[in-house]
Amino acid sequence: MADQPQFRSSVTNPVATPAGAPALTDESSLTKVSVRARVGASPLGVDFTRTDRRDGVLIAGIRPDEWLLLGAGAGVEALLAGTEFDGSVNRIDVTHSRLCLRLSGVCSASALEKVCSLDFDDTMFPDGATGSASVAKVSSDLIRDDQDGEPSYLILADRSFGQYLYDAIHDTTTEFSSAWPSS
Amino acid sequence: MIRRLEPRSGEVIDRATPLKFTWNSKKHIGYAGDTIVSALLANNESVFSRSMKYHRRRGVLTADYWDPNTMVQVGTEPNVRGAHRLLEADMLVSAQNAWPSLDFDVKAANGLFGRFLTAGFYYKTFIKPQRLWPAYEKVLARFAPGGVVDLNTPHGYHDKRYCHPDVVVAGGGPAGLAAAISAAQAGMNVMLVEHNHHLGGHLRWGTDEDRAVADELEATARMAGVEILTDSTVTGRYDDNWIAVSQRNHPGVVERLIKARAKILVVAPGLIERPYVFAGNDLPGVMLSGAARRLINMYAVRPGNRGVVLTANADGDAAVVDLERAGVEIAAVLDARAGETISKASGSSRHLNSVTLLDGSTVKADLLVTAVGWTAPTSLLNMAGDRPCYSPKAARFFSTALPDNVIATGGIVGDGRLDELIAHGASSGELAAERAAAVKHRLRSTVTRAQTPEGPEPPMPADHRDGLCKAPHPELYRSDTHGMVDFSEDVGSKDLLSAAAEGFDSVELLKRFTTATMGPSQGKLETVNTVAVLGEARGESIEEVGTTVWRPPYAPISLGALAGRVFEPVRVSSLHEWHTANNMKPILAGQWIRPDHYGDPAAEVTNVRTNVGIIDVTPLGKLDLRGPDVPRLLNLLYTNEWSKLPVGRVRYGMMCAEDGVVADDGVTGRLGEDHYLMTTTSSGAGQIWQWAEMWLQTEHPDWQVHVTPVTTGYTSINIAGPRSRDLLTRLVDDVDLSPVAFEYMNVRSGTIAGVADCFMWRIGFTGELSFEIHVPAGFGLHVWEQLIEKGADLGVGPFGLEAQRIMRLEKGHFIVGQDTDGLTKAPTTGLTPLIRLDKADFAGKPELEWSLGAGAPELPVLVAIRPTDPQLVPDEACQILRKGTAEIVGRITSSRFSPTLGRSVCLGQVTPEFAAAGTEITVRLCDGSDTTATVMQHHAHFDPEGVRLRG
Amino acid sequence: MLLVPCPHCGPRNSADMSYQGEASSRPDPSSTTPTEWREYLYMKHNPAGWLRENWYCSSGCRRFFTVERHTVTSEFREPPLPGSKTPRPTGDGADPARGAP
Repeated sequence: MADQPQFRSSVTNPVATPAGAPALTDESSLTKVSVRARVGASPLGVDFTRTDRRDGVLIAGIRPDEWLLLGAGAGVEALLAGTEFDGSVNRIDVTHSRLCLRLSGVCSASALEKVCSLDFDDTMFPDGATGSASVAKVSSDLIRDDQDGEPSYLILADRSFGQYLYDAIHDTTTEFSSAWPSS
Repeated sequence: MIRRLEPRSGEVIDRATPLKFTWNSKKHIGYAGDTIVSALLANNESVFSRSMKYHRRRGVLTADYWDPNTMVQVGTEPNVRGAHRLLEADMLVSAQNAWPSLDFDVKAANGLFGRFLTAGFYYKTFIKPQRLWPAYEKVLARFAPGGVVDLNTPHGYHDKRYCHPDVVVAGGGPAGLAAAISAAQAGMNVMLVEHNHHLGGHLRWGTDEDRAVADELEATARMAGVEILTDSTVTGRYDDNWIAVSQRNHPGVVERLIKARAKILVVAPGLIERPYVFAGNDLPGVMLSGAARRLINMYAVRPGNRGVVLTANADGDAAVVDLERAGVEIAAVLDARAGETISKASGSSRHLNSVTLLDGSTVKADLLVTAVGWTAPTSLLNMAGDRPCYSPKAARFFSTALPDNVIATGGIVGDGRLDELIAHGASSGELAAERAAAVKHRLRSTVTRAQTPEGPEPPMPADHRDGLCKAPHPELYRSDTHGMVDFSEDVGSKDLLSAAAEGFDSVELLKRFTTATMGPSQGKLETVNTVAVLGEARGESIEEVGTTVWRPPYAPISLGALAGRVFEPVRVSSLHEWHTANNMKPILAGQWIRPDHYGDPAAEVTNVRTNVGIIDVTPLGKLDLRGPDVPRLLNLLYTNEWSKLPVGRVRYGMMCAEDGVVADDGVTGRLGEDHYLMTTTSSGAGQIWQWAEMWLQTEHPDWQVHVTPVTTGYTSINIAGPRSRDLLTRLVDDVDLSPVAFEYMNVRSGTIAGVADCFMWRIGFTGELSFEIHVPAGFGLHVWEQLIEKGADLGVGPFGLEAQRIMRLEKGHFIVGQDTDGLTKAPTTGLTPLIRLDKADFAGKPELEWSLGAGAPELPVLVAIRPTDPQLVPDEACQILRKGTAEIVGRITSSRFSPTLGRSVCLGQVTPEFAAAGTEITVRLCDGSDTTATVMQHHAHFDPEGVRLRG
Repeated sequence: MLLVPCPHCGPRNSADMSYQGEASSRPDPSSTTPTEWREYLYMKHNPAGWLRENWYCSSGCRRFFTVERHTVTSEFREPPLPGSKTPRPTGDGADPARGAP
């Protein structure tokens, strides 16, 4: 039999975060399952544009008829197994179709607003909110998922854009590094 | 003469930091904080440019951003505003628009013939004969104004930023600062944008007390948390307060374009001083009061030795005081409020020598300062829909009506003492804060993700501000002589009068015909004078003539800033690194970077036909379809029948738009009871997804179907060739791949090289026995490497897009968009059996029904074509002609040399008359010669019975 | 840039949207005539005034919806309705679907 395969991210060339800049990390290997239902249904008890975290699994209402589950494979599986869905609900594993980047740090919203037109103000995009928009011209889903009291955003997009999107977002963070020239 | 004054309290120059620079290869020294022009003046230079048409020498006029006479070249950067750009060490500054030098300019000869160069001269003179235009153009291009563009200039680091401030304040003078402070103190997030390098507006070139007020306002604004952008411009206001800001002071960025969605825009641009029209008003030495005061009080530069001042207002009076303090001898002061004025200015072409008064007497002077009134820069108000109205009493335009989300304050609204201007600014900031809060409340209750606000939505607060008065001001536009109106475009009052006499007597026509207001000053200095002169010609008042509409941008913005960072998304498959490491010759297909070939596409074809090849087809569009109503959706999107596709089977289908034109094609397989996978062309993936959603959401919301794009969720690999089964068998244990168990056009799920949840189907574009496998993308590279490794003895090799294109053409498969076009209705592709008119409905059905019916217009038909000369490959798009005529009856849509057949093969579109098998056609080649070719019976040039692919 | 009121997301930049044109309903394909069908395909009313039009929230919630917009002022009438079949404008100017003439 062949070698044990290993998951490979589409971000093939991650680079180190410059000192002081928001940190950009690749979380593409997380298991991601899309749960689809009718518009207006609430198969997981989470509203559109909101999130919830259950047993380590993030549930995000990313579209009026779509919820995204993010977490370790076993956790996502357990959560799906423990939830009763009616026949109109479909579950599609999108682990391999969606890349997932995380941008964290006090200036992460300022960095993101260089490539995304959403309003990242705390009242307009609070922790636990989701939004979809173009990020550096790539259709993306954004989830605010603060960590250790600091703003943090998950950015999900089509896997094939991996390195491009990583580089584009990384470029937005560099002006917040301590090495950037000051006025 | 030493022009630099002793150190002064308000100066913005840093005498401890001298900067060396060169001007037209002459070495000079200025100070940090100097503008290019203030440093040059301090070095006794007083001529900075030649005028656009007549090449007259020009000196400083306004000494700020809008100065039309001080555009210079800095290194490789043309058209730099010398009275605004700050001096830098070792700057290479040179004059523009002068040849061979600023001092001796041959084009000044234009000035001698000035009376021939009236408005419309170029239009009228060079229009005929038209065939000579290229020759005229070459000569005229040398006369075009402006600096020199270096085509090798690097793009530089420009970027963009979106933001959503509560309040944007355009203008950092006293009223703007006060508005920003009160809005910020009311808890709003405020962005203040100031065009100049310093905050405080006119206070910066005022008295010590003025500057103290400016400093205090600035300190308070910073304390209040206002985001302050200096040397930045609000260049436009668009729908729903979408505000464009050009930011030139951001560290590390050449220029940044900020796209701000402001809840409220406060417009506080102040006023722009207006020149006076009289003979000699463009002589070096004639300047506006603001210029004189800026030069003295900010840059410690004495603008002249002996001056005449024409004053109509307090600023002119203040200029007299400032000039005296700077040691300028005041030869005469003329008070326009008492009816006094000047008639003309005279001198050599290099400098002013004397001023002639109305009574004909002359006063010797090398400096003439005028303070005759103001232009209200209402651009941003215009962009918000306002149509300002002229007040003859105050001699300027005022706003008439503004939307709720735009508030004006400061000099653009009215006049008053400094404390009144500040109070108006402060109350405008309060109003802005209240209105922004109302807008924010509405946004938070309508933007789904936002925190829901407390309480009911407050009503939009009404405007209860105390207004500013409109102080009387004499109307001074033109004296009794003719002079320059538009300094940038060299348009004089005489030109305007003669253009009006020619019939261009509406302000919009006059502007376009004479180009007045269309130069770099963009009307900031000359609009009102233009209107006033036109009023003279028409015998009407300024109110009656009306004014032009100011449109974005308020000030120029560089192309670099508009371009920003270059975001061109590219997509690659999981195998990209392997391709790169293995001699891939890439091709950009849409956003995808794909292997075109790996060195020798013909050899890749031969290897597929004899052994086995593998190709990365990941970009193939893939839509996961789930739900009980999928067959209904498929029946609607495809022209053929989908009701009874068994699980495990795959079918080809063609899609049409509602006009019957072929839109896409591909195969769809049934993976489970309610689970299908649809493939589309690579370029059609996004559109077909949206197309499917449109049908589901708008026409059939009751159908239960979920469409999920999974194009790159799978690494798709086509394994093609007579030994493909042998190869795949080595990697798959849980699926019986034998011809009996896994027939052509079937689909199976299984584990490939240890990777679970793969599926594979027996289809292909190449005409060979082939398996298209779809592997979860995170494991794609592993499977590809396994195929290469395990198939070494079978002769496996990668093949690229080019080899696939050759093989599909050998097989006669058409590509939607290449072999079809916007007139290709489904029947003409040769796939009429796939059109099932007995279905109740599908996209484009009515059109197809009519195009298959009697009397339908005959459209070109897709046929396979073989050139008579087997070695000749006609280029794609070559025309097909009726023999012996120039009548076009079709075209070659695809052509290649087939390594398999050892001859050229083509697909083409021909009119039905030529579509019968065996018809000989004439093909016109790109070099103009003709050749012959034959129409074939089958689309497939190779294996038309399909024996190989069913193997 | 216009803010378009998406019924699911709230107001969004028009650049996040894909304009789908005037709202009109698809004739029954089994009984339609060439004239009627081609009017549906190609003929637009393009009034200077209130217009029912379709948008697709392509960068956001990916839902189609119908709104009424004043083509002169670009004002939107609220509340917008989610995408659905809309009555076919008759073109006589008095169609309730397109507002008062």
